[in-house]
Amino acid sequence: MEKKRTVLRWVQHLMLAVCVIAALVSMAAFRVHITSFGRSFYYSFDQKDQRQDVFADTHLYSVLWGNVVSDVVREGVVASQMETNGEFDGRKEIDVTAYNYRTGGLPQEYVTAKYYLSDLLRWAEHGFEWKTVARSEVPEFLADTTQVTVVETGGSHYDTADIGYLKSDMASCTQVQERANIQDVSGNMLAPLGGGGYYGSVPEEIAASEESGEPQVMLLLNRYQTAEKKNLEEYVSDWQLYNDLCQNLQNAAFGLSYNYEEYTSFNEYYNEENSNVSYMIVKPIGDDTQVITNIPAGEWRDSLFHGMLSGSVKEAAGKKSEDYYLYYDPSDMVFDTNTQLDEDLIRQEFYSYDYGYPESVKMWISVSGALERPDEFRQGFDAFQKNAEYLWISVPTAFLAGLLYLLLLVYLTWTAGRTVDEQGVRTIRLGAFDRIPTEGALLIAAGVIAVGALFLILVEEMLPSTWALFDPLSTAEWINSRPGLLLAAVLLCAADAVAMLFYYSLVRRIKARTLWRNSWCCRGVRCLGKFFLKLYDNSSVILQTWGLFLLFVLINTLGAVLLVSGNAGIVTLLLLAALDIGAGNLLYRGAKERREIRKDIERIAAGDLTCQVDTQRMHGDNLALANAVNNIGQGIKEAVDVSVRDERMKTDLITNVSHDIKTPLTSIINYVDLIKREQVENPKVQSYIHVLDEKSQRLKQLTDDLVEASKISSGNISLIFENINLAELMNQTLGEFSEKFEQKNLTMVLNINVQDAVIRADSRRIWRVIENLFNNIYKYAMQGTRVYLSIDPSDRREGWLTLTLKNISEMPLNCAPEELTERFIRGDESRTTEGSGLGLSIAKNLTEAQNGTFEIGLDGDLFKVTLSFPPVAEQRTQHP
Amino acid sequence: MANILVCDDDREIVDAIEIYLLQEGYTIYKAYDGEQAIRILKEQEIHLLIIDVMMPKLDGIHATLKIREYSSIPIIILSAKSEDNDKILGLNIGADDYVTKPFNPLELLARVKSHLRRYTMLGSSPDTAKSTFFQVGGLCIDDDTKEVTVDGEAVRLTPIEYNILLLLVKNCGRVFSIDQIYERIWNEEAIGADNTVAVHIRHIREKIEINPKEPRYLKVVWGVGYKVEKQ
Repeated sequence: MEKKRTVLRWVQHLMLAVCVIAALVSMAAFRVHITSFGRSFYYSFDQKDQRQDVFADTHLYSVLWGNVVSDVVREGVVASQMETNGEFDGRKEIDVTAYNYRTGGLPQEYVTAKYYLSDLLRWAEHGFEWKTVARSEVPEFLADTTQVTVVETGGSHYDTADIGYLKSDMASCTQVQERANIQDVSGNMLAPLGGGGYYGSVPEEIAASEESGEPQVMLLLNRYQTAEKKNLEEYVSDWQLYNDLCQNLQNAAFGLSYNYEEYTSFNEYYNEENSNVSYMIVKPIGDDTQVITNIPAGEWRDSLFHGMLSGSVKEAAGKKSEDYYLYYDPSDMVFDTNTQLDEDLIRQEFYSYDYGYPESVKMWISVSGALERPDEFRQGFDAFQKNAEYLWISVPTAFLAGLLYLLLLVYLTWTAGRTVDEQGVRTIRLGAFDRIPTEGALLIAAGVIAVGALFLILVEEMLPSTWALFDPLSTAEWINSRPGLLLAAVLLCAADAVAMLFYYSLVRRIKARTLWRNSWCCRGVRCLGKFFLKLYDNSSVILQTWGLFLLFVLINTLGAVLLVSGNAGIVTLLLLAALDIGAGNLLYRGAKERREIRKDIERIAAGDLTCQVDTQRMHGDNLALANAVNNIGQGIKEAVDVSVRDERMKTDLITNVSHDIKTPLTSIINYVDLIKREQVENPKVQSYIHVLDEKSQRLKQLTDDLVEASKISSGNISLIFENINLAELMNQTLGEFSEKFEQKNLTMVLNINVQDAVIRADSRRIWRVIENLFNNIYKYAMQGTRVYLSIDPSDRREGWLTLTLKNISEMPLNCAPEELTERFIRGDESRTTEGSGLGLSIAKNLTEAQNGTFEIGLDGDLFKVTLSFPPVAEQRTQHP
Repeated sequence: MANILVCDDDREIVDAIEIYLLQEGYTIYKAYDGEQAIRILKEQEIHLLIIDVMMPKLDGIHATLKIREYSSIPIIILSAKSEDNDKILGLNIGADDYVTKPFNPLELLARVKSHLRRYTMLGSSPDTAKSTFFQVGGLCIDDDTKEVTVDGEAVRLTPIEYNILLLLVKNCGRVFSIDQIYERIWNEEAIGADNTVAVHIRHIREKIEINPKEPRYLKVVWGVGYKVEKQ
């Protein structure tokens, strides 16, 4: 039994480990690591995702799409800066000042220079070189005039290819003028410069030169030539403008370099070979139309392009039905997609780069449904698939293990501690641990938990950081390692084993009802209770009753006052009610217990000496009372038992002695008889023999009567009750005694005044009573008198019958009537006459044994015996 | 004459019984304990056994039990134990009669004679098929000849006594009250209680019973009536 339970318990611990690990594994499977263009992140499939059948419906898919849209929109801007007619163009001329101010907007007139894109990228890669010279050394360095570029709005000249990086809808052109004084212009330009970014170490050097007393200038080496093969100083006539232009040059170079890197890596990543994404952005700028796409040149690209221009993109793009696409045409207010994305997202993205797009831009993005290429969509899709697979195994496993764990828990809880003892009785067996007081066990449990927590912290410290136990991000990796799993399983098993040790101990305690009893609290409460009881027991009656009563009244009065004054809360009310109910219950219990004690006392008084008060349900004073009653009852019972036993022993003694007397008596009687037969002539001898004969016969009678009397008085006889007709009995008796009475000349006067003189008695015993009485009359009645015998209804007790015998005594009776029924008492005190003196005693005892009463009345020489018997119906069936 | 074995550890009693029995012409064997009695029973042909209960070596009860294993001779237990239980025990284990000490020698003699008669007459009982012949134990009544015998000895009864006895024997086991007997015998209605019947009954008992105070046949049910007990 116990062995089986131990095995089951370890199965239970194992199940917990399996359940938790399976749950962890399933959770780990929900997380996926995504590496996409310029991003790397973890994604956890939420419950909503897990319910999706198709990857495209997951949130992750939307996130990935959002990233793609963001990337493509930026690509649309960057590509414009790098490309001419869809190809990278190194000879593209870059207006550095315009580039610098592409997001903010250009002033009407500004100073600038144009460089080739490839030059700028190259210079940015190596950095710009400067030389520092004193200002006085380069007086003739700058040009005489400054070339100012004027922006003409609404002009006829468009050179969009050059300024593709400008705000696209800005219809702009440049007209170069030469001016000597351009103070206003430079003043216009200086303000935004402070907010612009510097690249390299230029600003520090400039600042350093300005701090020294000798004015110095920093000159860009003259290897950095514009598209017109000129140096910068040839465009400006002012140091301030020279410095600004240098700044613009540097900033544009570094900015473009950064964009170029992004551009190349984007093209690499979103290459149609590597990515499942296809996109096409169409930017109509003026008469020209830029197309930015990763779709290889061909029929489909052309048809898509024309479809986008003509607004029938859907038909043109409808390549594969399972593909997901997005089409956006802000000018025509068209937003069409079969993804979860909404228009706001796209608008936000375009808004960030509004300088790079004309209002008539059109964008189309699609992601292949098959996801053949290994990009982020593929990663997500694979994880999604794998997740579904893991879920298929780990979730049911976790569920089943959990269920089994619960079942085992319930079963083991149900059977905990159950055992069968030697007698085959079901009991609860407590182990050694269960005998520790409850609080002790709890303390041990707390200690174990503390040690366990400490151990866990230590383990975490020792483990590699990637295994950080409490970091959910690293849990996946931790779980995915085999030793990690094993460790987790062992730890879980151990933890559950410890927890269940305490739990089952608790269950066993509750079952064996020792949870409370075997606790320090219980002992304390009991001690306290005993103390108060002792205090109560030792105090006076006045204190016990009046003290308690006054306390009770005081508390109730206080409560009533509180109630009336409205200060009593519900708690006070409840406490008061509990007190009153408790007090009432105590009174009720006391009264009930007293009633029980009284009932039992009455039973004892009625003669049921085996009756004992049940002290199990008694308390306090009543318990003491009950114990006292039980002691009294026990004492009486013992006394009665002793007296009965003594009486019986006496009877046995008399019986045995009479046996021993009878044997020699037999010889005496027999030999006296033999002598009588010997024809003795001598009259003297004959008279002696006569005496011997008579006395030996009397001795015989005496022993018989002695045994009989002692037996009757000790109740050592069994009676067989039957219906006896007293009249019949009298007639039979008279028949038996007719000759004896005639011999003494006694006349019998029989007077029967009852119809049915029937009583319930033992036939032989009642005969013995009557026989004794008649013998008595025969022996002691005066010769020649009348004997009156009457049977009447009793005048004292309803339904009883009385039998009265009256005769005149020959000898004067000089003793009390009661004495006559004592053993060995006879009317005359002489013992020389015949009779044992036991006759009346036997008659009385026998009568009483048969539930009758026996009375003797003496009135002068009138000897009167009255027997009374209960009516037949009321006869108790008690057999003494 | 018959051989009688007397067994008692009190030699005087044995001797006294011997004297009485010798006078009647029986052959007497004497034993003083149970084992001796059994030995003599095996050696001699014994017709009746008188045995005491309380004896050394083997008591009367166990001796009786052993003897009853192979012998069916009449056994009279003679004991000082006079309790009802003792009598019942003795009769139940196979004794034929139980006489208490101190005993009346004449009564004992009568019982011995009675048992011997029964024992020797065994198997030669008169024809019971006769409808006018009634038998209860050793008491036989032939209504044709109006003869009454007890253990083969003729008893003389008056006509009323005879009729009462016949009535009781015919209805053996039934209890008759005084009034019933009076009405049947005198053919008159019994008016008032009378002890006439009781007196007659006592006379019958004195004639047919060995000890009228402990009757074998005609029993008094005190307060109820009279009956002849089935044997």
